[in-house]
Amino acid sequence: MYYRIIRNDILRNKAITLTTMVFVAAAAMLVSLAAILIINLSGAIDTLMTRAKTPHFMQMHSGKMDTGQLAAFAAQNGDVAEFQVLEFINVDGARIVFEKSSLADSVQDNGFSVQSEKFDYLLDLDGNMIRVSDGEIYVPICYMQDGSTKVGDTVEVFGREFIVGGFLRDSLMNSLLASSKRFLVSRNDFMGIGELGNVEYLIEFRLKDISALGAFETAYTSAGLDANGPTLTYPLFKTMNAISDGLMIAVILLVSVLVVMIAFMCIRFTLLAKIEEDYREIGVMKAIGLRVSDIKKIYLAKYAAIAAVGSLLGYTLSFVFRDMLLENIRLYMGESENASFALLFGIIGVLLVFLAIMAYVNGVLKRFQKISPAEAVRFGISQEKSAGTRLFRLSRNRLLGTNVFLGIRDVLARKGLYATMLAVLVISAFIIIVPQNLYNTISSKGFIAYMGIGQSDLRVDIQQTDNVSEKAAEIAAAMEADSTISKYVVLVTKTFRVKMEDGSEEQIKVELGDHSIFPIKYAEGGAPATGDEIALSVLNARELDKKVGDGITLTIDGQEKNLTVCGIYSDVTNGGKTAKAVFADPSADIMWSVISAELSAKSLIREKTAEYAERFGFAKVSDIDEYVVQTFGSTINSVRKASQAAVGVALSITILVTLLFMRMLVVKDRYSIAVMKAFGFTNSDITAQFVSRSVFVLLIGIVLGTLLANTLGEALAGVVIASFGASSFEFVVDPLAAYLVCPLLMVVSTLVVTIFGTLDAGRIKISENIKE
Amino acid sequence: MKKMIVGENILKSFGEGDDKRNVLDGVSVEINEGEFVSVMGPSGSGKSTLMFALSGMDGIDSGKVTFDGRDLSTLKDNELADIRRAEMGFVFQQPTLLKNLNILDNIILPSMRDHREDVSKITEKARLLMEKAGILELEKRGITQASGGQLQRVGICRALMNQPKIIFCDEPTGALNSKSANEIMGLLADIHRAGTTILLVTHDVKVAAKTERVLCMFDGQIAGEYLAGAYDETRNDLKSREESLTTWLAGMKL
Ligand SMILES: Nc1ncnc2c1ncn2[C@@H]1O[C@H](COP(=O)(O)OP(=O)(O)OP(=O)(O)O)[C@@H](O)[C@H]1O
Ligand SMILES: [Mg+2]
Repeated sequence: MYYRIIRNDILRNKAITLTTMVFVAAAAMLVSLAAILIINLSGAIDTLMTRAKTPHFMQMHSGKMDTGQLAAFAAQNGDVAEFQVLEFINVDGARIVFEKSSLADSVQDNGFSVQSEKFDYLLDLDGNMIRVSDGEIYVPICYMQDGSTKVGDTVEVFGREFIVGGFLRDSLMNSLLASSKRFLVSRNDFMGIGELGNVEYLIEFRLKDISALGAFETAYTSAGLDANGPTLTYPLFKTMNAISDGLMIAVILLVSVLVVMIAFMCIRFTLLAKIEEDYREIGVMKAIGLRVSDIKKIYLAKYAAIAAVGSLLGYTLSFVFRDMLLENIRLYMGESENASFALLFGIIGVLLVFLAIMAYVNGVLKRFQKISPAEAVRFGISQEKSAGTRLFRLSRNRLLGTNVFLGIRDVLARKGLYATMLAVLVISAFIIIVPQNLYNTISSKGFIAYMGIGQSDLRVDIQQTDNVSEKAAEIAAAMEADSTISKYVVLVTKTFRVKMEDGSEEQIKVELGDHSIFPIKYAEGGAPATGDEIALSVLNARELDKKVGDGITLTIDGQEKNLTVCGIYSDVTNGGKTAKAVFADPSADIMWSVISAELSAKSLIREKTAEYAERFGFAKVSDIDEYVVQTFGSTINSVRKASQAAVGVALSITILVTLLFMRMLVVKDRYSIAVMKAFGFTNSDITAQFVSRSVFVLLIGIVLGTLLANTLGEALAGVVIASFGASSFEFVVDPLAAYLVCPLLMVVSTLVVTIFGTLDAGRIKISENIKE
Repeated sequence: MKKMIVGENILKSFGEGDDKRNVLDGVSVEINEGEFVSVMGPSGSGKSTLMFALSGMDGIDSGKVTFDGRDLSTLKDNELADIRRAEMGFVFQQPTLLKNLNILDNIILPSMRDHREDVSKITEKARLLMEKAGILELEKRGITQASGGQLQRVGICRALMNQPKIIFCDEPTGALNSKSANEIMGLLADIHRAGTTILLVTHDVKVAAKTERVLCMFDGQIAGEYLAGAYDETRNDLKSREESLTTWLAGMKL
């Protein structure tokens, strides 16, 4: 009997049943995909890092090297399992010429190295250690993906020709967020190039036990070993490898939560409508002594059927899309070893969706308990009176047209039913607004300031060279004399020792100079203004355990200097561990210097970049916009695409759900419609009432959605943006789009759909519907 | 006498193919202005269908219905709605009220469509009618908080709101006990005395005996017509009116 009841019911409400099923399938598919991706990603990263034997601790260093001292330290430190120093030859991008173009515009620090002997191997696309022969070159995989070159092509480096033997996976530098890229050549070829570029050293350690990493880092620093460059550790490599695909997974999870919610809403709406419709029957069943649980079973069985079919469908569909989404992971990281696990986790994910739906249906059915058999049999409708409508009476209405009034009143009287539609509309508004605001924010000119980069036009880096301060002064003098440069600032970075509370010492890189000229955004506090203030990057503040207002002691020239932490900022440059201060320090021990400049006219940027690059060959001159485009361009682009897709998806959801709701309401309300028609209301009156209902709900939905987008949405987007390294930010809202165009789009589509969806009301025959 | 409604040779069928039946099978009928006419007949004989046809609420297959000189078949949906709202009133067997509105709002609903008068005037008028019907104290209640007889009176008040020329009543007393039925009939008699035309469907001889003319329907046709003449309460002849009507009905051999 259950089977027949269910089948009839499903056949009668085909459209809504199908829609619910589609949403369930979509939710199941997304959850299963997310599970499969998570397992594959983490598995692939593990496989890659295990095969490559990624170092646990790496110190980059440029300048003179004292290998003996390092070796002694490694031999003596009990935690060290293996130790090596690799050479990395930094080569200007312009010197690496592919068949089509050179890497002159690349913001990556491109360089050459040889295959290492002990660990930190560079792997080929099959995950094997590469053996490279003379004349051959292996190219970082990112240049395969952007189509720069292919196997068999030639690459010219300083006029020498190499044949591309293949592409390499680099467990340290695969990610675009890692700013260096290693090309692999044979030892003989390496010797040839060695004289032409700047040598940088990668001092690498593998520990016996990774849990000793913290202690080892401290030991390394306090031993005062070579450390002229960023320090990187195993967990950081792992994060960098995970980040881009991790973001994709996060987005998929987020979307799947929304889809599950929409599926819930569809279920809730149909269920509430059905309960209202069956009110009398449910009452009768109760009256003749059936138990609530017996009655529930019929309804539960129906949704179990829908959810089961939806889940199966979704799981099957996830196989179709799986390979597409795994492509990137496979390319950069290779196959995962526990891929079969992934299928299992996919099933678990789908099962969770199924159970969540059943729990939800069960929850909604709780209201069976409240149905009084006496009332149900006598009146056939529930006597639940919603507060608010008592005051909202036709006889007191002086403001609104009667149709508008009746529409709004209906919404207020049946809040439960319309809450469902409202929820869907709020979600839609949310889906439209948040990605758009996110896109506006990260594409706005000021966004880089959230990431520790001042808003200038031109940036000159002087690194890996001697006499940094003289060279910086030379450029500064040229800028001073250059009338097209409206302002500029020279910042120098030096290393100091920080005294920790437990008496140990750590090293900290401090950028000295005037930080007010190209200000950045501070998460807390502000820029250092006086000589006794210092601002810390988020990572440093966390590591040193300092808050704004805390004191910090630096050792400068053998003397202790007490400073107050005045601000904390996010930084994506230099491994994220930086500090800013203004105090004067006469010592000449400069690590690097950065000169930022603003031009009087933006049109000059290209020309000036080229001019300064030409004039000062020792410096790396970059155009900030170009820098941003190359570093974040692909991200900004995908967020833009995502936000456009979101508008499409949200509008389709709005249209679909409104259409369904309106059609169901017309069917449900056919009695009232017939009564009103009998008493002289025209078809357009009825349409006007329905339009008032949906537009009223929509307006509330837009307001709530906008509010939610600017609070919860901002917080969520903050999480996304934090993954780029910025810890605090505010939405940049384009008021025209967010407050006019998008709401208008929604209103217009709802309006059209409502009119279209209520066409059936015109066909309702009074004579057939008025006899109950 | 001026003719309010003229139905000529009305044909109306339901069903398709073999199932097709003429529910109204060539009905011709005239209702004059100010008349109080009742329609009797067995269940399924087409009484309700005739009411829907004469009021233009439902289309007919062939024939012609003229209301106050206008051919209803030539009018558009909206024009028909306008006529129903301004010139006709309806009372159905069930109360047919909107459950989301309270009783007062249900009564004023048709008048609020045009908003020709001030809300307070409309409400005032509704209160007056409710007082006459003896349901003033129900004003603020929901429709689940009143008895069947009270709700039927609510329906009558609603039908009277726009001072219609004619009221169609489809078994207004069908679901009521005889006391409530008498009260409702008293109300309708008052309205009739005030000059409103009434067309009333009923099964009840006691009810029909109070009307001026009785039409008897059988199998989609008007089988006969009984002229009773105006009923005057003061004459105390209800018993004899009932008896002669009963005799006439028996003669119809239904
Ligand atoms: N929409 C419809 N579809 C098919 N048949 C219908 C429809 N409406 C009415 N009928 C049929 O037409 C016939 C007349 O119906 P109608 O409602 O006019 O009867 P009635 O005389 O009012 O009966 P009662 O006294 O029971 O109210 C009945 O046989 C009924 O089954
Ligand atoms: Mg009937």
